[in-house]
Amino acid sequence: MSALSDSLKKYIGMKSTTEMACDAVERGAVRRYAQAIMYEDPIFDKPCANNARYGGPVAPPLYPTHLARRAFGVPDPIQANARNSDFDGIVAATSSGGLPALEPLNGYALLNGGSEIEFFRYARHGETVSQTSSYADISEKETSKGPIVLVVTETEFRNGDGELLIRTRRTQIRRK
Amino acid sequence: MALGTTPNFEDVAIGSDIPGLEKGPLTTAHLMRWSAAMENWHKIHYDKPFAMEHDKLPGLLINGSLKQQFVMQMLADWAGPNGWAWKASFQFRAMNIVEEAVRVWGRVIAKRDGPGYGLIDIELGILNDAGKESTPGTATVALPYKNGQPVPYPFVPPAA
Repeated sequence: MSALSDSLKKYIGMKSTTEMACDAVERGAVRRYAQAIMYEDPIFDKPCANNARYGGPVAPPLYPTHLARRAFGVPDPIQANARNSDFDGIVAATSSGGLPALEPLNGYALLNGGSEIEFFRYARHGETVSQTSSYADISEKETSKGPIVLVVTETEFRNGDGELLIRTRRTQIRRK
Repeated sequence: MALGTTPNFEDVAIGSDIPGLEKGPLTTAHLMRWSAAMENWHKIHYDKPFAMEHDKLPGLLINGSLKQQFVMQMLADWAGPNGWAWKASFQFRAMNIVEEAVRVWGRVIAKRDGPGYGLIDIELGILNDAGKESTPGTATVALPYKNGQPVPYPFVPPAA
């Protein structure tokens, strides 16, 4: 096992606290999101026949997975890194799922390696969403372009009543 | 989901294609709009010098997180209001570079019975203009039986 793998081992199995998204599912944010993904289904807008069984207007399927935003009062990482030429623009709230940063991988580039996602229920307008994550696996791999680190994170997203909305298993590729 | 109708499990043939989607060409404006909508400011999607010089990428990348939205749209539209797109997995095997158009496709590879509904296994992917596959994956969609009840909502998966 390499020194890097050794230093990453302690993170495997580490679980985040359950974090509540700072904003509930808001109609305006859902509109911007649906328009950005070019998916303007009326069920995301107002009550209609096709969202009656969901209890009213809902957000697009993956919306809860993008609700970890920076709350008021939390230090601004963009301003904090304004003179850091290595800052890649990734803000912790969107990359770590509330998990501690992987310190040994500081300065490593990040690419999205893939996802497994299970859907159980839509998030309705007005609902709050929480998420709980864990590092399921971290492993090093040799590739033709050099060594990479695969970071697998599992996350459960639930509404304010604790109902499971989505479960994800994401693989991030980190490389120097 | 809402835009279409739900196929019956019995009417879906193994080997058949489900309706695909075409998106793009995807410009920097599309990528910036998506970054803003999800408040993720990863520079490889809009800062070309950072992407190419710092991260050694061939250009600005179309977000994997945006591509998976297109897959979910295809699946949910096909499942219709009485079905349910239960699960999907994707591997981001190749990059899609800004200005590419993408075509999302899906093909039925297996059918099986679930508890009160049927399950359809699908292979899927995302092709660019040149026909190169970037995002191979699989999915499972639950469909009602002919003359059966809609798939339960919230979705109750089959016992493992």
